[in-house]
Amino acid sequence: MNTLAYIIYLFITYLITVHVGLRFYRNGRVYILRLLHGDEKMTDSINNILLVGYYLLNLGYASLMISTWKTITTWAEMVGSISTMTGKIMLALGIMHFWNMTVIYFISRKHNTITHHKI
Amino acid sequence: MRTSLNFTAYLVYLPIVIILTWYVAHTLFKNSKIFMLDIFSGKTEIAISTNKLFETGFYLLNLGFALLIMEITTEIADSRTLLEVLSTKIGGFSIYLGISLFFNLYLFFRGRRISREKARLAEALKKIPGNS
Repeated sequence: MNTLAYIIYLFITYLITVHVGLRFYRNGRVYILRLLHGDEKMTDSINNILLVGYYLLNLGYASLMISTWKTITTWAEMVGSISTMTGKIMLALGIMHFWNMTVIYFISRKHNTITHHKI
Repeated sequence: MRTSLNFTAYLVYLPIVIILTWYVAHTLFKNSKIFMLDIFSGKTEIAISTNKLFETGFYLLNLGFALLIMEITTEIADSRTLLEVLSTKIGGFSIYLGISLFFNLYLFFRGRRISREKARLAEALKKIPGNS
C-alpha cells in the first residue's frame, strides 16, 4: 500500500511542480527584465537558473517528506495521507511564492525611489 | 466494511472543494484584470503577468489548505455523521475561501489607490516651473 501511495504522491507533486514552475518562469520574466532595466541576455540566464533552483528545492523537499510517512492499511488512509502531504507542499509553495512577490515589490519600489532622486 | 464511509466522504469532499476553488479563482481573476491594468497604468504585459502570478498563488494556497484539512480522524459509522462531518468541513473551507477572496480584493483596491496617488504626484511635479 505504501509503495502505491508513494507513486501517486510523487506523480502529483511532479505535475504540480513542473506546471507551477513553468508558470512562474513565463510570468516572472517581465519582472526581472524590469529590475535589470531591459538587459535581455542577463534576464534569460537568471530566469533559467531560478527555474532549476526551484525544481531542485521542490522535488528534494517532496522526496524528503516520504521518509516521514506512516504505515498505510486502508484505502481511506491512503487518500487521506496523500492529500495531507500534497497539501503541505502546496501550502509551502504558496507561502514561498507570496513571500517572493513581496520581496520583488519592495526591491522595485527601492529602484523607483533611487531613480527619482537621480532626476 | 466499516471504514468505507470515510472513503466516501473523501470522494464527496475532493470534487466539491476543487470545483469551488476553481470557480472562485476563475471569477476573481477574470475580473481582476481590469484592476491590474489600472494599477500598472496600461502596461499590458506586466499587468497580465502579475494577474497570472496572483492566480497561481491563490490556487496553491487554497487547494493546499483544502487538502491539508481533508483528513477525517474519527470513524464515520452512519450517513448522519457523514453529512455532519462533511458540512462542517466544506462550510469551514467556504468561509476561509471567502475571507481570502476579500483579502485579495482589498490588495487590488489598495494597489489602485497607491498607483493613482503616484500619478497625481507626477502630474503635480510636472506643473512646478523649472522641474522638467
